[in-house]
Amino acid sequence: MKTKKLTAGLIVNDLLLAVLAFICIYPFLNVLAYSVSGYNAVLSGRVTFYPIDFNIDAYRQILGKTQIWMAMKNTVIITVAGTALSLVLTILASFSLSRKDLPGRSFFTAFILFTMYFSGGMIPTFLTVKSLGLFDTVFALFVPQSINVFNFIVMRTFFKNIPESLEEAARIDGASYMKVLNKIILPLSVPIIATMGLFYAVGYWNTYFDALIYIQKPELYTLQLRLRSLLFGEELNNSNANAEGIGTQVMSQSLKMATVAVSTIPILIVYPWLQKYFVKGVMVGSVKG
Amino acid sequence: MLVPVILYYVVFKYIPMYGITIAFKNYNVFKGITDSPWCGFEVFSKIFKSKNFWNAIRNTLVLNFATLFVSFPLTIIVSLMLNEVRNKHFKRITQSVLYLPHFISWVVVAGIATNLFSMTNGSINRVIENMGGSPIPFMSDHGWWIFTYVVCNVWKEIGWGTIIYLAALTGVDESLYEAAYLDGATEFQRLIYITLPSIKSVIVTMLILQISKMMSIGLDAPLLLGNKKVMDVSEVISTYTYRIGIEKAKYSDSTAIGLFQSVINIIILFVADKFAKAIGEDGII
Repeated sequence: MKTKKLTAGLIVNDLLLAVLAFICIYPFLNVLAYSVSGYNAVLSGRVTFYPIDFNIDAYRQILGKTQIWMAMKNTVIITVAGTALSLVLTILASFSLSRKDLPGRSFFTAFILFTMYFSGGMIPTFLTVKSLGLFDTVFALFVPQSINVFNFIVMRTFFKNIPESLEEAARIDGASYMKVLNKIILPLSVPIIATMGLFYAVGYWNTYFDALIYIQKPELYTLQLRLRSLLFGEELNNSNANAEGIGTQVMSQSLKMATVAVSTIPILIVYPWLQKYFVKGVMVGSVKG
Repeated sequence: MLVPVILYYVVFKYIPMYGITIAFKNYNVFKGITDSPWCGFEVFSKIFKSKNFWNAIRNTLVLNFATLFVSFPLTIIVSLMLNEVRNKHFKRITQSVLYLPHFISWVVVAGIATNLFSMTNGSINRVIENMGGSPIPFMSDHGWWIFTYVVCNVWKEIGWGTIIYLAALTGVDESLYEAAYLDGATEFQRLIYITLPSIKSVIVTMLILQISKMMSIGLDAPLLLGNKKVMDVSEVISTYTYRIGIEKAKYSDSTAIGLFQSVINIIILFVADKFAKAIGEDGII
């Protein structure tokens, strides 16, 4: 099988996949091309996937807006704090519930898994968050959604597969659970932690709906929320925007696409570095634990 | 070590579950959840009479089934194609590119889609015009909007969906292929008689799992791709819950819809699980 030679069918197969990959990447190239093309080229619709009349005015304009920087700052804070909190909680949950000697283990596991199938729903959750005083604060954007049950299952499965003898040896030498976690489990779990970190970070970076319902102050807007109001023109009646002189005119397509690019590029930068881990991570999860 | 985790679940998951009681109450902002007066099933009977509610359910099912109908077979085909690739580097690059859209937010996808599919200046309509066709109202005609919705969903998730099948495909016994090769089976015969039967149980499980999710739908895609013109087909259960709950602040109504949806989901899940076990597959719960 592995030594089979390249037949016509296989070449066609590869070609079709190349076309498919191009379809997947084309919209990104289109965005980049729009964002760096000249005004006339954009207006006449000649831009496809390479720039015409290359210029970076759109980026200059976008990066000159304080709104964008503020949104960027909020998003970075949420992503960093949220990912850290999520990882700590998920690791604690997975580690304790992967230990066979924990009393009430199956009860607590069921306690967590139940929330995957049944939840209070949008409004009761909203009211709870509001009554805790988190409404219109950045905390509302990561504390209430800090553990993802699916990620917990994946990580617990991974921890379960670590040979117990390693841990037993350390326990006999008098190490505490915390020490076992820090010195033995975590160093062995880099791929899974990287994967979960990526999933959480992307989730927080892309968070849109929570920001939509929990955030009202414009200075707390996240990137996605700002992006949406710029793209779909809800900014038009906003007096703040007028003061900065960009609100009244409908944004040019280059400007819109430059905004899209600015908010997507950070993901595209970290993606290749973490990619080698996540496929493995997802596979671990597909083995039911 | 488990204490912070339990605390998190109690505060953010189990306390809201208590909040479900407002579906059976006449919720009053000043009285709060506990002190608002009970009203039995009044809220439910009001909702069941509402045309918009049934509309939202219909749209949810239409969009979900349309997406499933296209994405399910396509994902399997793409997995099989990827599995046939001989050149390792080509395979890795193709996979990376195919997974990429999964990590992009719906705001961005909607922004790109509006740009590409736009009536006046979109690249796609530009191509159609150049070939002598007339522009297609992708975002504003009901039928075309469903088409656009499905295209965006398939584009975003098709690569990601292949991961599970590729994992199953690596588990297929090589010696089966070798035996078939010696017996003179063509590539196509090997695909039909060896590869597909080997991953059949994954395919069936995935299908059952997907069908069991038909009543739930992500909120971002229909909310962001939708617009006033296509509201009749784009308003799904989740966006409807959002609109009457957050925008119109009818907390009881919105909670009742959420509860109705949760209950239906659980019923479907149990039925699907029983069904999976009845046909000899692993359960899905």
